[in-house]
Amino acid sequence: MPTFYLDDKPVEFQEGQTILQAAMAAGTEIPHYCYHDALSVVATCRQCLVDITDLGNGKGLPKLATSCSTQAAAGMKVSSTNQKVRDGQNIINELLLVNHPLDCPICDQSGECDLQNYAFRYGTGHSEMAYEKRTYGWRDVGTFIMLERNRCIHCSRCERFSMEIEGHHDFGHFLRTHELTFDTYKDHQITHKFQGNLADLCPVGAITEREFRFKKRAWKLERTPSVCPGCSTGCNITVDHNDGKVERLKPRENKDVNQWWMCDEGRLTYRKANDKTLRLTEPLARVKGALVPAAWNALLEAVAGKVKDLSASGDQVVAVADLDSTLEELFLLKNLLAGAFGSGQFFAPHAPESAAPAGARFLETLITPDKTPNAQGAKLLGFQSEAGNKGMEKALGKAKVVFVLGAPEASPALLNAARKAELVVQVAAYRSEWFDMADVILPALTWTEKYGTWANKQRRVQALRQAVNGPGEARDPLRILPDLMRALGQEASFAPAPDVLDRLAKGEKKFAGVSWKVVGQQGFTLA
Amino acid sequence: MLKETLLLAKNIRTDGYDGSLEAYRRAGGYTALEKVMKSMTPDQVIEVVKASGLRGRGGAGFPTGMKWGFIPKDRKPTYMVCNADEAEPGTFKDHFLINNDPHLFLEGMILGSYAIGCNHGYIYIRGRSVRPAQRINEAIEYLYKAGLLGKNILGSGFSLDLTVHRGAGAYICGEETALLESLEGKRGQPRVKPPFPATHGYNACPTSVNNVETLACVPFIVKEGAEAFKKIGTPNNYGTRLVGISGHAAKPGIYEVAMGVSMKQIINDLGGGVRGGKKLKAVIPGGSSSNVLRPEEIDIPFDFDSVAKAGSMLGTAALMLFDEDTDIVELAYRTILFYNHESCGQCTPCREGTFWLRNLVRDFRENLGDSQKLERIGRVSQQMFGTSLCALNDAAAGPIKAFVTKYPEEFKKHFI
Ligand SMILES: Cc1cc2nc3c(=O)[nH]c(=O)nc-3n(C[C@H](O)[C@H](O)[C@H](O)COP(=O)(O)O)c2cc1C
Ligand code: SF4
Ligand code: SF4
Ligand code: SF4
Ligand code: FES
Repeated sequence: MPTFYLDDKPVEFQEGQTILQAAMAAGTEIPHYCYHDALSVVATCRQCLVDITDLGNGKGLPKLATSCSTQAAAGMKVSSTNQKVRDGQNIINELLLVNHPLDCPICDQSGECDLQNYAFRYGTGHSEMAYEKRTYGWRDVGTFIMLERNRCIHCSRCERFSMEIEGHHDFGHFLRTHELTFDTYKDHQITHKFQGNLADLCPVGAITEREFRFKKRAWKLERTPSVCPGCSTGCNITVDHNDGKVERLKPRENKDVNQWWMCDEGRLTYRKANDKTLRLTEPLARVKGALVPAAWNALLEAVAGKVKDLSASGDQVVAVADLDSTLEELFLLKNLLAGAFGSGQFFAPHAPESAAPAGARFLETLITPDKTPNAQGAKLLGFQSEAGNKGMEKALGKAKVVFVLGAPEASPALLNAARKAELVVQVAAYRSEWFDMADVILPALTWTEKYGTWANKQRRVQALRQAVNGPGEARDPLRILPDLMRALGQEASFAPAPDVLDRLAKGEKKFAGVSWKVVGQQGFTLA
Repeated sequence: MLKETLLLAKNIRTDGYDGSLEAYRRAGGYTALEKVMKSMTPDQVIEVVKASGLRGRGGAGFPTGMKWGFIPKDRKPTYMVCNADEAEPGTFKDHFLINNDPHLFLEGMILGSYAIGCNHGYIYIRGRSVRPAQRINEAIEYLYKAGLLGKNILGSGFSLDLTVHRGAGAYICGEETALLESLEGKRGQPRVKPPFPATHGYNACPTSVNNVETLACVPFIVKEGAEAFKKIGTPNNYGTRLVGISGHAAKPGIYEVAMGVSMKQIINDLGGGVRGGKKLKAVIPGGSSSNVLRPEEIDIPFDFDSVAKAGSMLGTAALMLFDEDTDIVELAYRTILFYNHESCGQCTPCREGTFWLRNLVRDFRENLGDSQKLERIGRVSQQMFGTSLCALNDAAAGPIKAFVTKYPEEFKKHFI
């Protein structure tokens, strides 16, 4: 690969890469606002100025150049730190603050604001601007976002997203000079499904998420890499949390899955993660028709005793799993059924697959109609899944014991069939329509509270990581399932998700080669 | 006593000349075109223009032949665009040519189109310039009738259509890439370069943007040869300039001079000096984007290189004179007001810097100045210089910096 010199250090670059791209790839920060990997280059913020002292032909440039729009060339010598560059960075920073309200104390972006960060790193630290600042009026521009134009630094990322990525082009710029404003067309409210991305792209607090407004100071947030549970696309995300509470979900870049984006519906799934009203927090047993709290150990033993009394085996034992169960959980459930009962009756009800959305733009194909995060995984593990499956209804009709993992989507017919069983044991995080028929409820952790993997629609295995602790007595299904197995007389003990995944990879041909390590932060696509 | 050197204004200075096609042809017009259509290849036209050393008259002084040479030969269509926007304050030379002798630059434009392989050219002119636009349209109509435009011009096989495009009137639309955006029907604001218009111009096709006066030089060069052109002017600054004298001049107007003659003489001999016998306080030599010169700095040759050496810019050769009664602060304020108003706003230094400078200069105008503010004007204009996407930013910052450095005493008069 050809090399150029950035601050006297050799940096390799690919043909066509700009100085900024090559520097970022090499881990050197050059401050910038308008440049974004996903968007066209406009070179208007001028924050990324560098000094090209040698173009590679012995001649330098008299003026500073924008590193976002200048391609690297072999032998080029570039300074991003000399006095000339510092002066350039300073004046751009100072000028950006000329009309900026500096209302950081009440700005949601504070703490994760490029303007704030660069002002500290590259600014002079004081202002000599003593005039009335330009102000814009209030505008209500979107159902999911807030626009505070006084904070806008006119980088045009929002407009380019609307034009180049989202496609509606309903964000644009109006007027000119210092009155230039980024806005929607008159009275137009943005209603599309990807508004949150505008807030992510906006380098300052001009566009923020309504949902996050005044909720949390950004610097308090811890960010745990995870996967969105909203649909079988499995957008890579971070779960941003503080004090045991999930505050928001943000997309995490994955070129092969969601690029830089996620949908607003996906963002809102964080609400359920915090839900208290439907959450199951203690083990429950049905006594005289009503579910009453019970102790974990006693309850597990009671389940084992009841199973023994029923002397259920083979097809009399059926498992029904939710498609947000992790691969590891499904694997253990399958083992439980096969090992303790010799049963192969495991199901994961699934709505009929509708056609994948088509469209020329990547974003048009992002959201999958299948709203479950691990349908492919269940299928690959041999869970029977078609909805309206008469086999499933029939199997349930014959069942004495039913294990329910999560809250599988079920038709009334299916629920009625299950109701006939002698014992229904549910391992779940939330109340659902299964609540009324379960004899035993074992409270489980939800996706933000545990480790595990899901396989998305591309059969890409992606990892969830624990961000917060579960409530009350809720336990990890990876612990509940072995405990159940042990109570039922099998040898089993808790193993963390990576270990279960290793066993799964060995035991299931279709998962050959998968491991926690290869899954990493970007996932692993099955052969 | 300095006299005019008539190259472009020769017809116009002839009594009774009305600028019609007939009159132009009678004066030898379109013989360059005939010559080229009969006996010259496009490359030969580019070569002769290159050899003449012709430099652009739109402001930047870039060699025209070289610009045409950048147009790739293997990509079609290519476009010739004539920049007739003429928005630079103080400038009225292009409209002088258009109104009085439109065929001169049109012939140059046809020659240039032939040279770069363009079959459809555009003339971009601001919407407010109603009469000049009409004038060009009339001239074009006659050219079609005479077979000098349209299909198969003079039986050469070369075809060319010309369209006048009237802009909505923003100064920034004179900047060539903003002009192209506007021509494409978009908001007029400059594009990031590279790619340059020569490869990605109008509709992303190879395009050459040329000023009216630049194109008007071409027929002479083609007809008389590069050497004849180089006999006028000084090395690297060949040909004449149409100097637009305005301000407190006794005889304002357009004067054509050979490049390199004394600027002082132009002012005194042609412009008649300062009107009313007043003393000269300041001269802006090349439109409002060029730095002001003090009276003691004006005894220089009037050409690209000499004016640049004096710390200013030949620009559009719009010489503005200011007499002893002029308030330089007022002049500075109007200048920054203009650039602030005309900034397209997309880049930070220009959008915010012109706003801030405008506020600072206004303080002096309202007698609220102080030494700190004076220093601040100098610092901000100095630092913002050279940091933006197009030249408008520098056209604002440079002159403001020049006003405060060259006329501090004027600003001090407005201290609080
Ligand atoms: C802000 C700005 C305004 C300009 N306005 C004009 C104009 O009105 N007419 C013009 O010919 N060139 C104008 N220019 C220069 C053009 O960008 C371009 O350099 C010129 O049209 C090229 O023609 P030339 O090579 O024949 O000079 C302007 C440049 C800037 C930066
Ligand atoms: S609203 Fe945000 S993204 Fe849009 S131009 Fe302003 S700062 Fe940039
Ligand atoms: S597209 Fe699907 S996976 Fe991605 S954010 Fe939306 S719901 Fe979540
Ligand atoms: S320098 Fe000014 S006019 Fe030119 S692109 Fe930048 S903001 Fe627009
Ligand atoms: S990042 Fe280069 S100009 Fe904005």
